[in-house]
Amino acid sequence: MSQDGNSAFLLRAFYNRFFPYKTYFQWLNYDIAPTKNFSHREFSFTLKSDIYVRYNSFMDVEEFRKEIERFQPVKIDIGAVYSVMPKNKKSVAEKAFRPVEKELVFDIDMTDYDEIRTCCSGGDICKKCWQFMTVAIKVIDTSLDEDFGFKHRLWVYSGRRGVHCWVCDDRARKLDNESRKAIVNFLEVIKGGSEQSRKVNLGNSLHPSLARSLEIIKPYFGPLILNSQGVLDTPENWNKVLNTIPDAGVRERLNEMWSTDSLSSGQAKWQDLINVLDKSSDKQIFYVRFSSCLQAIILNYCYPRLDDKVSINIGHLLKSPFCVHPKTQRVCVPIPITTCENFDPFSVPTLSSLINEFDAFSANNGPDDSERKLPDYKKTSLRPYIEFFEKFVQRLLLDAQRAKRGNPKKSLFFKNIYIYMYILS
Amino acid sequence: MHRQKKKINRFEAANHAQVSTDYGRNDISKQYPTRLNFYLAPPSTEITIEEFELFALDRLQVLKTLETASLRNLRGAELERVMNPVLEQHLPLKSNISQSPTLYEDRRKDHISHYVLRLAYCRSEELRVWFLRQECNLFRYRFEQEGQEEKRRFLTELNLNWKILDQETKDSITPQLEKSLSYSGSKKELLQVRQRVQSETYFEVDFEKVPDLLSRRSVYIHKGKAYVPMAEQVSLVMDEFRLRLSKALEVTSKILPRMEEDDRLRPILLNVEKQYTGKSYGASNNSDGTVQASDVDGLISEHAPLCMRNLHDSLRANKHLRHGGRMQYGLFLKGIGLNIDEAILFWKLAFANLPDDKFQKEYAYNIRHNYGLEGRRLDYTPYSCMKIIQSNQPSSGDSHGCPFKHFSPENLETRLYKDKIDKPQIQEIMTLVNNRHYQLACTRHFEVTHTKVTEKATIIEHPNQYYEMSKAAAEIATTKPDTQVVTESMMDIDQ
Repeated sequence: MSQDGNSAFLLRAFYNRFFPYKTYFQWLNYDIAPTKNFSHREFSFTLKSDIYVRYNSFMDVEEFRKEIERFQPVKIDIGAVYSVMPKNKKSVAEKAFRPVEKELVFDIDMTDYDEIRTCCSGGDICKKCWQFMTVAIKVIDTSLDEDFGFKHRLWVYSGRRGVHCWVCDDRARKLDNESRKAIVNFLEVIKGGSEQSRKVNLGNSLHPSLARSLEIIKPYFGPLILNSQGVLDTPENWNKVLNTIPDAGVRERLNEMWSTDSLSSGQAKWQDLINVLDKSSDKQIFYVRFSSCLQAIILNYCYPRLDDKVSINIGHLLKSPFCVHPKTQRVCVPIPITTCENFDPFSVPTLSSLINEFDAFSANNGPDDSERKLPDYKKTSLRPYIEFFEKFVQRLLLDAQRAKRGNPKKSLFFKNIYIYMYILS
Repeated sequence: MHRQKKKINRFEAANHAQVSTDYGRNDISKQYPTRLNFYLAPPSTEITIEEFELFALDRLQVLKTLETASLRNLRGAELERVMNPVLEQHLPLKSNISQSPTLYEDRRKDHISHYVLRLAYCRSEELRVWFLRQECNLFRYRFEQEGQEEKRRFLTELNLNWKILDQETKDSITPQLEKSLSYSGSKKELLQVRQRVQSETYFEVDFEKVPDLLSRRSVYIHKGKAYVPMAEQVSLVMDEFRLRLSKALEVTSKILPRMEEDDRLRPILLNVEKQYTGKSYGASNNSDGTVQASDVDGLISEHAPLCMRNLHDSLRANKHLRHGGRMQYGLFLKGIGLNIDEAILFWKLAFANLPDDKFQKEYAYNIRHNYGLEGRRLDYTPYSCMKIIQSNQPSSGDSHGCPFKHFSPENLETRLYKDKIDKPQIQEIMTLVNNRHYQLACTRHFEVTHTKVTEKATIIEHPNQYYEMSKAAAEIATTKPDTQVVTESMMDIDQ
């Protein structure tokens, strides 16, 4: 009980002192003064005892803050902007209540890597397997930027074992379900259920986007897959790799080689694999398949694994940045792309660490100290994350202002009337 | 035969004359540079009332032929064999290469007829859907016949914000374009790909426009733009065409009431609209009291299509029919000639277990409503096959709908056996059903149950059409050879 009581107390303090209401509002509002982007946005709350409430909406930041502090939600999810204020959903016809816009979002969850990671499984993560996330972030982010031209991409730690990406460009928010699905299909490389062993199927001309992703991944393959995950270290694991090679002869040879010299390093075994494939028969035809075979293995182990459902449906709800993960008590903080290599999920502030820092700060600074006038979050390690978030939102708002200025209204309807009147005369 | 005077060389003279001075008409190269047309702007020429109607009916003939052809799943050469004569006769449209003298007239007719049909078919959702589908089919048919150069000209003229890639940009991204075209990796194929990329025209479009290509990762994209080869253009063009026409139809339907203020146009538009169902089987045509309530059983079992017989059987078995069934069957009966009084009698007797006052209270009103005697006084027309198949799907306890679509295959087979049809023919019908050609299945059903009919039946589009075909066949069979049976001309709608 005291544990619960304690965390409830901490959460209250968090919502009271640290949650960045104003910047958060400006983000989802895409403007300074309240617009439909915010008032028509769905939020869902998970309350104590797993009570789940959907279709909450708020007129402005004051109402939002008031309700958050009242409800003390254990989890906050963000949904789409609807045609009608979600809180009024029940008072309109079903057909009249439709999602209109939402950010393009991605969810990368470590459990999707369970079949290839050897260090942890389930909800656990460690410094070793976190590298998968780093690779995933780099690949997806580069694609979103280079291929799709999206400029405002916010990566957020999910609080336990994954990351989310929020693409906030106006163009992204206006995508329909079909386009979202197409984007996911474009990005995805690993397909197929758990019964399939060969899941990466490449044509023999590697699409420029995949070629680029492969270049991003390659430097990580050795350290992450061969060394840290030791994917070729045990028969059980190396056979998973061998099963993706279509040539039975090659598979047997390698299995034999490695069984007799099982202590050789992952790097050495990988070199063996390359050599054996190189020497195998039908090199002319196999040559291309050979390189695609290697590529397929690399991609199967390192390429980002996305959760489709999250990205495809415009109405899908996703956990909000800056809420607190109920199980780990960690704050869902943004991950700046430029420093994503150094991101350490284990040094992300937790509720209790924040309160401790805050108390320590107050203790060290007397009542007249000018430092005390700082916003509370600046007195804790939450500061850099929120400052990063503020800069992100500033850029967004600037872009939104620029877009507003260059948008003439078109009116097709009257032009058509004129034309039809003419035909009759 | 030599003339003394020097003759003017007319061909030479024509060469010097600009097309624009041809009979003082508008410049074909400006108005109709290619035979393809997105119909973005209405025709600006004057037209006579006769042209208004004739052009529309001609085009309608073409669209209907196209519909039948696509229902029969005709493709390629087969499709051309069917379409070309019809097009030649009703809506010829030659390409620029042919240098036909009637290019301008042809294109003008094409343009005008499209717009008239827009007016005629914008009225209801069902009509709009039909018109949109047929126009898209026609456009695709013509587009695919067009040569590369003509297509390119057309798309350039259209100026749909599709940027055609200039050579410089194209050169800079050629390696990526090549890699986006998949090939098996052999050197020969690589060369082929190189050549293709070199010769092909590429377009720069927003990636949202090509979700299919994006999904399959078979297009190169960069900074939000997709680089699409001309070969993939068909689907893009089709989408654009469909989108624009769809929007235009909606706009047109909104302003249609104003246009109908012109008395000359209204009857023509209504006439054209009626042609869509072939016949509308409305009350004004047939409800002259020739069918009595007591005749229904016999007529239905002899001449009605499967859907109506099913409803009739269900009505007899349960002494009741749910709303969907009452609508579908009731309107059908109206179409075969049951007038309001006979209808009330028929339904009252059919709902045998119901006391009279209850019947009057709950069902009589609806029957009168169907005949246009209550409420909005709309004279409802019997449902066409399309409507029965597509709307108001039956749920448990319902007997309406199309048996070929809505019965489970086992139930349908059983029912067909009951009709004493041979096994091989049942198999034929089931194959059609499996391929979702419900109307063709019904047509085949007609053919195998009406063995006296020798020619191939026209495809069934309306239950009342089935009924009338069946009745006509019976009449021919019982009529002596030298008696004149007036059929075709009787069935024509007054022009």
